[in-house]
Amino acid sequence: MPKRKFDPLPTAAFQILLSLADEELHGYAIMRQVEQQTNGRMRLGPGTLYSSIQGLLEEGLIEEVDRKAEPETERRRYYRLTSSGRKLARTEAERLADLLRVARAKNILRGDYV
Amino acid sequence: MSERAFTWLVRLYPAAFRRKYEQDTLQLYRDRMRDERGLVRRVRLYRDLMVDAVLGAPQAWRNSYAEASADTLAGDVSGLPGFHLLDQEPLRAGAVAIGFVFSISALVGFGLVMRLPAPVCAARAGATLSPIEAVMDRLNRAIAAPRNDAGERAAVDGGSAQAQLTTNDAARADKSAERPLSASEKGQVVQGVAENLTAHYFDRQKALATMERLRELEKQGEYAGIVDGRMLAERLTADVRNATGDPHVSVAYSRNAIPNAGPARPTASALIQYRTVMLKQNCSLEKMEILPGNVGYLKFNSFPDMEVCGASFHKALAQVGGANAVIFDLRDNTGGFPETVAEVAAPLFDRTVAWYNPKQTQSATTLTPAAGSKLANKPVYILTSSRTFSGAEQFTYNLKMLKRATVIGETTGGGGHVGVFHRVDEHFGIGVPETKIINPYGGPDWDGVGVEPDVKVKAVDALNEAEMRAAKQILR
Repeated sequence: MPKRKFDPLPTAAFQILLSLADEELHGYAIMRQVEQQTNGRMRLGPGTLYSSIQGLLEEGLIEEVDRKAEPETERRRYYRLTSSGRKLARTEAERLADLLRVARAKNILRGDYV
Repeated sequence: MSERAFTWLVRLYPAAFRRKYEQDTLQLYRDRMRDERGLVRRVRLYRDLMVDAVLGAPQAWRNSYAEASADTLAGDVSGLPGFHLLDQEPLRAGAVAIGFVFSISALVGFGLVMRLPAPVCAARAGATLSPIEAVMDRLNRAIAAPRNDAGERAAVDGGSAQAQLTTNDAARADKSAERPLSASEKGQVVQGVAENLTAHYFDRQKALATMERLRELEKQGEYAGIVDGRMLAERLTADVRNATGDPHVSVAYSRNAIPNAGPARPTASALIQYRTVMLKQNCSLEKMEILPGNVGYLKFNSFPDMEVCGASFHKALAQVGGANAVIFDLRDNTGGFPETVAEVAAPLFDRTVAWYNPKQTQSATTLTPAAGSKLANKPVYILTSSRTFSGAEQFTYNLKMLKRATVIGETTGGGGHVGVFHRVDEHFGIGVPETKIINPYGGPDWDGVGVEPDVKVKAVDALNEAEMRAAKQILR
């Protein structure tokens, strides 16, 4: 059961995966990206952010990017999505989409997209 | 929130996490502090940080940080035992404090145990040492603390006093102590034991038969394998007791040299010293009280020579003379003169009774009651402990056998009475009953086993128990 730790996938971890979907980011940038993509509802603090990042690293869902080009003092760790991370994010998104469909069918959620 | 407070919050997280991400978390903190200014945003940031510190911790603790420990475990390939540092976390202040507290309490506990007066050891020593050895042991101890010295000497061996060992003797003995016994030495010891028996034992026929038996055993090589003095003494004691059928004969070995003083009477100076010590200690009379309910309580720690202490003892006995009941506290009484034992017991009777004295020089003794005593019909309680010894045991045993006292406390020390002590050589001696001892009560006495109390309680609780019983008895 290799993915047990992220089953179900915690919101913070999912948001981090999403934030890395199209670019490599460092911790603070991930935090800002998550804030942005949740319309300011989720502001990851350092504890949640880095413990989630560590968890995702251990599960091989993201990986650290080697950026030797940067000067030592400015060095920040950058992360990017791995293929299994991308797959997991997609699965989670589909699960949520299913949920939405159900919600809509039950007239809980109105709207015409997704 | 200051950066310092923030680093404190981060301590909620595992060490491995902090090692890897401490700089990152600080960086994030600084970034947000830089970017989120203004009162509202700052307050929101502080709340975020605190909530985050708590909510993020479970995930942080779930992570394995396998990477961090992988390299420390990597060296385990050769199959050889190795020392791996699994966690490089420095000792926390709390751990150091707990360690400190534990060490100090262990040290204090050890110290307390060492300071205890070891009554248990004394009791055990009394049980495993042969009677003579117990006596010798006490004599040797008396060198260190020459208390009651002359009294004990006179008392334990019925008048044939052993001169006190000098420190020179002790030093000499220590040098020769560990030397194994040679065959000729053993032969001399066996011969000496046999000669002393024939010379002093009250039944000459038995003594001669025993001598034959010992020579036979020696010829058969029964003693050939013994190289240790103590073992030889034990073996000879068993053989002599077997041959005579008398449990009061005893061969003893002493590591310290037994002085060749002969059966000399205590010297004048020893008597003067004894008198001084006794008077200074109020003749070992520790306490005289009239307890509630007019219960007389007497605690004395020896049965001293009446020539010296007669006045003090008679005064103390007179003080409890009008009591409704008497408690004799012998819990620290190590014995003394058989004559004193009889004299203390005399006021408790109004008729002549059979009196057992294993140290008597003439057989069959009775106890004559003290004239005009009001105590003859009053309840008597005797408090005992495992330290209660020798003459104090005689007092306890006799009154118990005569059903004159209720014995409360612990089984007594079991001090032996082995007749008169004779020196065989520098390290061996033999205790020989020179008169036939008749126990008028029948059955075995306390030699080696102690006197069983009627009411078994811990020595410390004995007085309470006695007071309670005395109160009930008086009301009846």
